[in-house]
Amino acid sequence: MSAPVTRTDGSETPAPVEEEALVRKARHGDLEAYDELVRRYQERIYGTIYHMTANHEDANDLAQESFIKAFQALKSFKGGSSFYTWLYRIAVNKTINFLKQRKNRIQMSLNDLDFNAEHDPDLVALISEKTPHRDVNLSELQEKLNEALLKLSEPHRLVVVLHDVQGMAHDEIAKVMDCNIGTVRSRLFYARQQLQALLSDYVK
Amino acid sequence: MIENENNFESVRRLLALKRHEVPPPGYFNHFSRNVIQRIRAGQPAQSESFFDALNAQTPWLGKVLNLFNAKPVFASSFAGALCVLLFLAVVNGERADLIAQTPLPVSAPTSASLAALSPTALASSANQPGIVSSTNPVLSLQPFASPFAQQPALAQPVSLTSYR
Repeated sequence: MSAPVTRTDGSETPAPVEEEALVRKARHGDLEAYDELVRRYQERIYGTIYHMTANHEDANDLAQESFIKAFQALKSFKGGSSFYTWLYRIAVNKTINFLKQRKNRIQMSLNDLDFNAEHDPDLVALISEKTPHRDVNLSELQEKLNEALLKLSEPHRLVVVLHDVQGMAHDEIAKVMDCNIGTVRSRLFYARQQLQALLSDYVK
Repeated sequence: MIENENNFESVRRLLALKRHEVPPPGYFNHFSRNVIQRIRAGQPAQSESFFDALNAQTPWLGKVLNLFNAKPVFASSFAGALCVLLFLAVVNGERADLIAQTPLPVSAPTSASLAALSPTALASSANQPGIVSSTNPVLSLQPFASPFAQQPALAQPVSLTSYR
């Protein structure tokens, strides 16, 4: 069995060999094996969808539906890419379709911030005397940040979410989005530029 | 590229806040179980919205509702048209009830009405084959009188052989 791969956000991608065995079993209808696969990826899939929609209920529905769709389509999974990338593609396509359909009805339903947010060194550094809005609290910042993210187009938002929030590498994002690395980089640059302009009151 | 990364350092720091947004406690404890249950049940989304279910079952109705949602002016026009139809239906229904309940005016026959009911007039109307009912809506709405009832005859009985 090969060792798990540590990602930039600190989480670990499970060993591929074990995953292959689970996928093979799940393809033959083994729901226990699929349950294990769901447990492995539920947080990342939910997280990506949540950061794209800024709505917990929508993210819950879409994440569940993505896993169900993936199970139903397992027979068509040829193994050309990793199960993880394939699953991500399903979730991302489902989310983008959902966002296109409900473009005019986007409503935020944000999750609470965890206790560690107040002690995050990045955020502590950000909300300092150098920040123009010193009196801003984290909840307000959270709302403004989500509003700004929702103003980006879906591909730009997705690149920012996958790279800057989920910690995914450029080449992995390129596989998920089915484009080349250059496109990923240029989208990331443009998206950050947009965010900087939208959040100019809150960033230096 | 490194310069670009430095330019956006504060944005990246701000985006770190997103990592601290967490779903309600215990949310992931039941997530996989819900997914597996739904796969076992083989049914569409448990928490699927009404509109999604409607879209799947009756796409045309879903499209209409989506149109209403996108352009409220259509929805209000449709609602207005429905209200008008309902109003007309109620008014017509009440009118029909009123007409049905109103007894026939019993008044002394005038010379004109008697002339209209004269044997020649009746005979001329009877000569038109196929016309058996009056065009008078009031008369036509009246319940049929029993043929055996003894009613004062205003006209002489006509032979029905002309109908055969």
